[in-house]
Amino acid sequence: MAVNLKLSEVPSREQRLGSITGYDGSLKDLATQGCAGCLRNKQRGFQTVSNCAHIHCINQLAGLEGTLVVDHAPVGCAGAQICFTSVKSRVPAPPGALQHAKVISSAIGESDTVFGALDKLRETVIAANERHNPREIYIATSCVSAIIGEDVNSVCTELSEELGKPVVMAQAEGLKSKIWASGFDAYCHAASRARLIDTKKRNNTVNFVGFSNLGKQYVEPLLARLGLELICLTATASVEDFERACSSVASWGQCGAQSSYLCSALEEKCGVKYFQSHLPYGGVGFERFFLDLGRYIGKEDEAKQVIAEEKEKYRETIEKAKKILAGKRAFVALGASFAYEYTRLLYELGVEVPHAVAYHYDPKLDNPDESEKIAAATDVIELNLDVETSVNDGQVMETRQLIKKYNPDVIITRGHDANIIASSFGIPAYACEIGLILMGYRGLALFATTLADTLANTNLQKQIAKHYKQPFTEKLENTAPHSFYKEVAV
Amino acid sequence: MACSEQSRVACGIGGFYTALAIESVLPILHSGPGCLFNVAGVLALANGRQSAITYYESSIPSTNFCEEDVIFGGVERLRNLTAKALEYYKTDLVIIVDGCTAEIVGDDIEEVANDFADSETPVIFASLPGFKGNNVWGHSQILNAIVDQYLTKPSKGVQKGLVNIFGVLPYYDPFWLGTLEQLENLLTDIGLTPNIIYGPGKGIEAVNQIPDAEFNLLVGPWVDLDIVEKLKVKFGTPYLHYPCVPVGATEIAAFIRAVSEYAKLDSEKTEAYIKKNEDRYYSYLWRFNRMGGVMFPQKFYVNASASAAVSFTRFLINDVGLIPQKIFISENVPEEHHAQIEKWLREPKYDGIKDYEIVFTDDGGLCDVEIKGLKSTDLELTRACLFGTTWDELTAKNNGFPFVSISAPYGDRAVVNKSYFGYDGGITFFADLYNDCIYKFLGSGSVANIDVQPEAALGADAC
Repeated sequence: MAVNLKLSEVPSREQRLGSITGYDGSLKDLATQGCAGCLRNKQRGFQTVSNCAHIHCINQLAGLEGTLVVDHAPVGCAGAQICFTSVKSRVPAPPGALQHAKVISSAIGESDTVFGALDKLRETVIAANERHNPREIYIATSCVSAIIGEDVNSVCTELSEELGKPVVMAQAEGLKSKIWASGFDAYCHAASRARLIDTKKRNNTVNFVGFSNLGKQYVEPLLARLGLELICLTATASVEDFERACSSVASWGQCGAQSSYLCSALEEKCGVKYFQSHLPYGGVGFERFFLDLGRYIGKEDEAKQVIAEEKEKYRETIEKAKKILAGKRAFVALGASFAYEYTRLLYELGVEVPHAVAYHYDPKLDNPDESEKIAAATDVIELNLDVETSVNDGQVMETRQLIKKYNPDVIITRGHDANIIASSFGIPAYACEIGLILMGYRGLALFATTLADTLANTNLQKQIAKHYKQPFTEKLENTAPHSFYKEVAV
Repeated sequence: MACSEQSRVACGIGGFYTALAIESVLPILHSGPGCLFNVAGVLALANGRQSAITYYESSIPSTNFCEEDVIFGGVERLRNLTAKALEYYKTDLVIIVDGCTAEIVGDDIEEVANDFADSETPVIFASLPGFKGNNVWGHSQILNAIVDQYLTKPSKGVQKGLVNIFGVLPYYDPFWLGTLEQLENLLTDIGLTPNIIYGPGKGIEAVNQIPDAEFNLLVGPWVDLDIVEKLKVKFGTPYLHYPCVPVGATEIAAFIRAVSEYAKLDSEKTEAYIKKNEDRYYSYLWRFNRMGGVMFPQKFYVNASASAAVSFTRFLINDVGLIPQKIFISENVPEEHHAQIEKWLREPKYDGIKDYEIVFTDDGGLCDVEIKGLKSTDLELTRACLFGTTWDELTAKNNGFPFVSISAPYGDRAVVNKSYFGYDGGITFFADLYNDCIYKFLGSGSVANIDVQPEAALGADAC
């Protein structure tokens, strides 16, 4: 499905892509049903806290250089933003080089919920603009602004004219979608509307869309061998970076969740080819991705040469780790793309995966060419990849019951607390990397080596678990995984 | 015009962290799917990497209020969720809380709580919509709910020496756990029986004891004042209001004397306790004093909660010998408390006393804007320290100011059992301030090639 940047708002992942947050079965079944368009979501009768699109839309927008975000919400809806910016004071940059993320709350109060808060919003935008004079302003909507029916888009139109700079709405109500990645789409949609222009030319640049540019020093030399220069549309990307990205030859993203909408918008609006079917992780992923890219720009031989060199460079390290990892069992709990990327990486290292939890599943993405499948489905078709899997929106009690059932040697995860469950059972958790740092044979070697180290001494986890009292009843302990589905009243 | 940025507070629903601070008390959320994470971000994760005591945050039951609930209401789903939670979680008390969305559509959580009146585990409720207040307000709602709905029986009789502790707001005060542990030890040492409801090993037994205390001890300028007043009316428990969590030798001695006098403890024993600990404290400071090398900048700014601002401003003037420039209290304190907070801030006296401004605001970014705007040569040459939150850490770095984190969000370094309470806390603060000074300033005796340093890293002007 193609993106439409003319609309002021973007429909949620559920509406747009048919994405789901409830499933249990196998990856093969999931991908097959997804491709056939007959995937059905399962509802829950019991659930725990999740996460929301609002938080993730704002953190991405506020991360860009030269932006300011006005959060049209009660004051707490911007509370978590400090999590994404406190690192700034530790970045080894000289004093003054980095500035605070600019997120200003319109602080919707009780009376505003009755009388409306558009005047307050206007005042906030004007005051924030006076204080910081940003290049562009985004107004994020919230659950409250949506329920009370605020016409934020018309304020954006008025203020764009009045202030002489882009003032763009980012539709980011948390209640609209169960998939927090819908917030990434809201960011991509708003930023695309503000920053993408069809330059009608192609340069020798290639775009990476993701959270951060960490690890770019390892990737740039590989791309240089194909005569390509890397542009990172990640945190701190400037208006100029976006302008240059519009003339790139191709884009790829860190995953289907965070990156697909912006990459698709670049393809749709600017003609920049989006490579999405082969994510460049592990040896298998990298070889397919790099060959795709090489072929596309007519440099297949050079690409093959780079692949061979990289493979040889890290062969010994990977083989050494594989010996240690042989016979180990790893449980995966990760986002929609990385759950299955890491499953493939673990298979590549000879590690068994009893179960993979994905925090949502997209049967398709926004790329205009619908014949190109999502990465997990491509792996099912090309590599016969399969794994027992389930989909939950960070429902840790479901994940907990699965971890308890399978009692793996390690949990491969990142955020969303599967590591805490692991710890409570005395199992080590591996906090995995994503993005450029995980790319290629180097990424695989890094993963293999550090995973082997993680498994080498698990004393801490054992001691913690020995002293931890599980706060759940016998009834829960005897509840089978996925039984929360069954409790839905028909 | 209104400009509220660099949020240092969570919204009202953040009150659920007060429930999580009490062992085996389970909050159930009737709110949006991301409300917990938004609170956790500022009160736990970026606030010293804290986490819950009994139930990890992600295991908290939540209806994850969605679009359908706006149309049909979410009461039925909440009722089912509560029933399931009672089956699945070992808990002593359940508190149903709701957020903005459920409040606006008019879901009645009181009705749901009442449906569980016969439950073996008590189920109470607290409305915590973010549009009504921040997490400090939410905290008050939770404690009020416990006192009103759970502590319904009269006192079984006053226990001599039993003291309830209030005023330290769990999680929001990043040092709460370490502070309460040390306060408990101190009060025990001077002959009292402290009753603290928060932290491991306390729980519902401690809550049940609240009505039996001889008196309530409130440490802090305004938080929990409503609670001790309510307990005075409800159970006839008198209270001692001490203005702050005492940091450093001067304040802790005054605190010990105040408590001792109020509780009519043996003053000789009290004085002996103070003497012994002061000797130890000043012995450390004497050794510290000889480190030399780098001086603290004397001027200082604070951008913090009222509780932290009062504690640290008094300590910085009384014990560290610094000069206040401007105190920003950025948690939107209700106006009725401003005058009293200001009076307590201005109590400490020092040689060459100068007037300074105290600002009450909900705009965490105001301090950054004002410091950026400082162009005085005086300040360029003498510099200043900044004490606040991790937001201010970048402001401090960009201006070459030494910095110590004293308030939420503390930062994403682990706080574990750290506290600046009392004698040990004061010594720790001296060390932390000194360590940031030597990180930011090189002494002129340094044998190092400064040419390789970016100019700004040497503390050159960045204003």
